[in-house]
Amino acid sequence: MKITTMLFVSEFEELWFDALQSLLGLRKAALNHVVFLHVIHREKVAMRRGTGYLKQEARKLREIADIRFIDWAETLFEEGMEVGAHIAIGNVVPKILSVAEIEKVDLIVTARKRRGKLEGLFASSETSDLLRRTVKPVLIYNYLSQSGKVGENPFERLLLALDWSVSSEKVLDFVLSLKGAIKRVEIIYVLSEKGIGKLSKMEAHKVERDNKKRLDEVCDVFAKERFDARPHLYIGNAEEQIQRGASEHKATMIVVGTRRASVWKEKWSGSVAYSLAEKSELPLLVIPAEVK
Amino acid sequence: MAKKVLNVEDDPDIRTFVTTVLEENGYIPIMAKDGEEGTKKVKQEKPDLIILDILMPRESGIKMYHELKRDPSLKDIPVVMLSAVSKRTFLRSQVALTEFGDETVPEPEAYLEKPVEPEDLAEILKKILG
Repeated sequence: MKITTMLFVSEFEELWFDALQSLLGLRKAALNHVVFLHVIHREKVAMRRGTGYLKQEARKLREIADIRFIDWAETLFEEGMEVGAHIAIGNVVPKILSVAEIEKVDLIVTARKRRGKLEGLFASSETSDLLRRTVKPVLIYNYLSQSGKVGENPFERLLLALDWSVSSEKVLDFVLSLKGAIKRVEIIYVLSEKGIGKLSKMEAHKVERDNKKRLDEVCDVFAKERFDARPHLYIGNAEEQIQRGASEHKATMIVVGTRRASVWKEKWSGSVAYSLAEKSELPLLVIPAEVK
Repeated sequence: MAKKVLNVEDDPDIRTFVTTVLEENGYIPIMAKDGEEGTKKVKQEKPDLIILDILMPRESGIKMYHELKRDPSLKDIPVVMLSAVSKRTFLRSQVALTEFGDETVPEPEAYLEKPVEPEDLAEILKKILG
């Protein structure tokens, strides 16, 4: 499991070339190929009464994307990297999935796509839709936050949120493969407040001790690979505590695992990954359990 | 016998343009829409000349050119680069690829920056293919 090919999806709103450059630290791991994708939303060029299909508009939007991609590509080519580009008209998520398959990418990078509150009640966001449908790791890169640009190197200090599931194992494998691109790893496990409340004091201590031991074991694995890794045991609501941990330890990115879920299960069971994908200010790397 | 020219280009409008220029000047056009398909067609068809774009899906013209020129059975096929990517970038990229231990490769027979006039393309083809 290595990132050699990265799909960089840009709508020319949040993710520009500086955002891409901030990810080039991954070259120290294995990255050598970047594929650009720009999807022109169908509504922008769709049939209108009296004017028909906006062919001229479609041509103009393609041309704009092409000019931008050529400029970006020239910089990367000169650094010895391989670059590809796709410009398509249609719905974003299906296009991302098809290009990811054609180009055999190892990582999809996209900005978070929000919906209004009312819309969100009835339809999941494009981001959730993508997470549900892909088996590739996805970096939801909120490069421009309310407080300005996110760090220069998002892979510098990772916060790994584990839950001891199969997807957590995938998270570990994936992060270990990024050796060279990462400076420090904070590993967090969040105990459920409700679960602990039902236990006797002795039982609660035992749960705490067991989880600390598991965290230490994970840190040992990282230490063997010469990573600077630290364990953290938190208690409370998983999503809130992960965000708190990221802030306390000055993480530059949160990494979580996920399993595929239906729209309704995701909406009502409150999957941590999906919830973080909608709310996290920091870049969020989501590793599916099904990743090969 | 008419000479075969392979055009590797992802933009359908440019493919149509190049096909027209080739046919009007008596060449047999062969088309490929990315570097991966282009490499396959080069091996299958053994064209007399290749017109190569750079920024394409699946495999760029930069990688394809580098591979062509390092393949003893294909390196003598003349290549005309036809791209919106500047010649300066192309030459620098070929140097950058040699930093990983690859041998240096020669410059292409011609480098045309898009857009190109049909007469200019025809003239270059005639000069190289005779």
